[in-house]
Amino acid sequence: MRRKLRLLLLCLFLFTIFSYGQIKSKSQTTNTELPESFLDRTEFKVGFVGTVFWSNGLSVGAEYLWKENEKTKTRNDKERTNTHQFLFNGNLGFVTNFSSKTDTGAYTNFGLTWRRTNKKGKQFSIELNPLGYYRSFLPETYEVNGDSVDKVFLPGRGYYAPSLSIGIGKQRKGKVRSGSYFNINYTMRTPYNSGALPTFSLQYGFRFNFKNKKQ
Amino acid sequence: MKRPLAYTIKIGFLAIATLLVNACSNDHTLSNLDATVFVRHKGADMPAYIKGNANEKIFLITLHGGPGGLGLGFRGNAFNQIEDNYGVVYFDQRGSGMSQGNYSEDDVTIDVMAEDVLALVKVIKRIYGNDSRFFLLGHSWGGALGPATLLKDQSEFLGWINVDGSHNPKDLYFEYIRNFERVAAAQIELGNSVPFWESVYDELDKVDADEVSLDDFAILNTLAFDAEEYLNDDGIINNAENGNVKVSDYNVLTFIWNLLKIQSILDEDIIGELSFTERLSEITIPSLILWGRHDMVVPEFYAQEAFDNLGSSEKKFVFFEGSGHAPMFTEPNQFAEEVIQFMNQNK
Repeated sequence: MRRKLRLLLLCLFLFTIFSYGQIKSKSQTTNTELPESFLDRTEFKVGFVGTVFWSNGLSVGAEYLWKENEKTKTRNDKERTNTHQFLFNGNLGFVTNFSSKTDTGAYTNFGLTWRRTNKKGKQFSIELNPLGYYRSFLPETYEVNGDSVDKVFLPGRGYYAPSLSIGIGKQRKGKVRSGSYFNINYTMRTPYNSGALPTFSLQYGFRFNFKNKKQ
Repeated sequence: MKRPLAYTIKIGFLAIATLLVNACSNDHTLSNLDATVFVRHKGADMPAYIKGNANEKIFLITLHGGPGGLGLGFRGNAFNQIEDNYGVVYFDQRGSGMSQGNYSEDDVTIDVMAEDVLALVKVIKRIYGNDSRFFLLGHSWGGALGPATLLKDQSEFLGWINVDGSHNPKDLYFEYIRNFERVAAAQIELGNSVPFWESVYDELDKVDADEVSLDDFAILNTLAFDAEEYLNDDGIINNAENGNVKVSDYNVLTFIWNLLKIQSILDEDIIGELSFTERLSEITIPSLILWGRHDMVVPEFYAQEAFDNLGSSEKKFVFFEGSGHAPMFTEPNQFAEEVIQFMNQNK
């Protein structure tokens, strides 16, 4: 009996909270009309990529704005407008371990980014790149088949390497250097030693919109 | 606008080219070797770090423990001294360290791993000439891989050095239990770390004493490393000198993932299954057995067993009285002296 009463009180409490939230918070979504020009909708990015201790490198890429909408929320009589964007995304990077010769590689990946930007230009983004390829570059390598030993030309291995990045950033509206970003990236390399190797890295860099200069 | 962009692209290409050159350069000067060479064999690309003085074209090939250990994990004071006299080849085995590749789990067997070592020998001969000569050294798990290699082809090697090697993991589980009981009783009698050694009895009560269990083996193995720490605290095992392996040499996440993966594949075939004891008599090249007297991980029982069963007419057995499982770090000078002396005598 007591249990039922507790459950009922919990339901009433949750109902009150959510009802209050609905009264206080109203949201409105407006789709943004995007510019026609490809360059207007494209930002280029360049930055550091690596794990600091074991690999360091350079990454370049581009983001093409596909969809954008503005969500306005009213909560506690305060209006908040956030911009939500979906962007097509492509990257090309090169990383190496300066201490050893065993962890050098180049990668490319393509996918979709979701990004939220608040009024102050602070950004949060999730980047999913299901199409990814990582090519390791090895130093001097010899292939042994029975008694024959042959030097391998451009040694290394290719891996399917999808990735997921979550990060923050800052937008600079109307500037050529249109923003900066800091991401934590998870990439899987497969097939790697009879499995799938998980790797983590940091990405820090700047975005550029070259069309902004002309404005 | 165009010029800065062009400059940026040029700088980018230059940076990448510099990184590539750095990533691929090697020093093969025999008197001061510092080269990283990959061996591609049966779907695996395995790094061999070749260092030291190979003026005489004599190389000591080392087999790390684990499975899943680090080739460069041997480096330190002892191996620095060996490097001053001979070339030393540190090798990340299949699925270990920074090895990479594309192969199925069926391709991870001690048989294929032994073939990998012989492939490494062929690669070194290709680089430094057919007159190159080799010694083989295995530590811990490398003490199983060593005999597996030698039983395939020992003609390539001038000598075998077994360092606390596990040539008989089949019986190791039960020897752990016997050794713990023996050492715990002795340490309690001496009054050393009594609460720990009493707790060892509690742990032994929990494990299956009649049948090999992989889970229980993992508990006993961990307990063995813990026990060596207590033996060190009580002054029975010397303090270990730091090794030379740098944090930046191995990506820790890759190393850990490789370690877990390779052990998950191999453990079932090794623990309670694998034994070379009966076949050690087929190894007839000169052999040196180096063992820490207080080794809890591969107990001293196996040192005597290896010595008694090896078919070598020339064999030597050395106990390191202040050492556990890693005498190369706890008694590095004596260790280096024994290895160099053995190589000098048999080269």
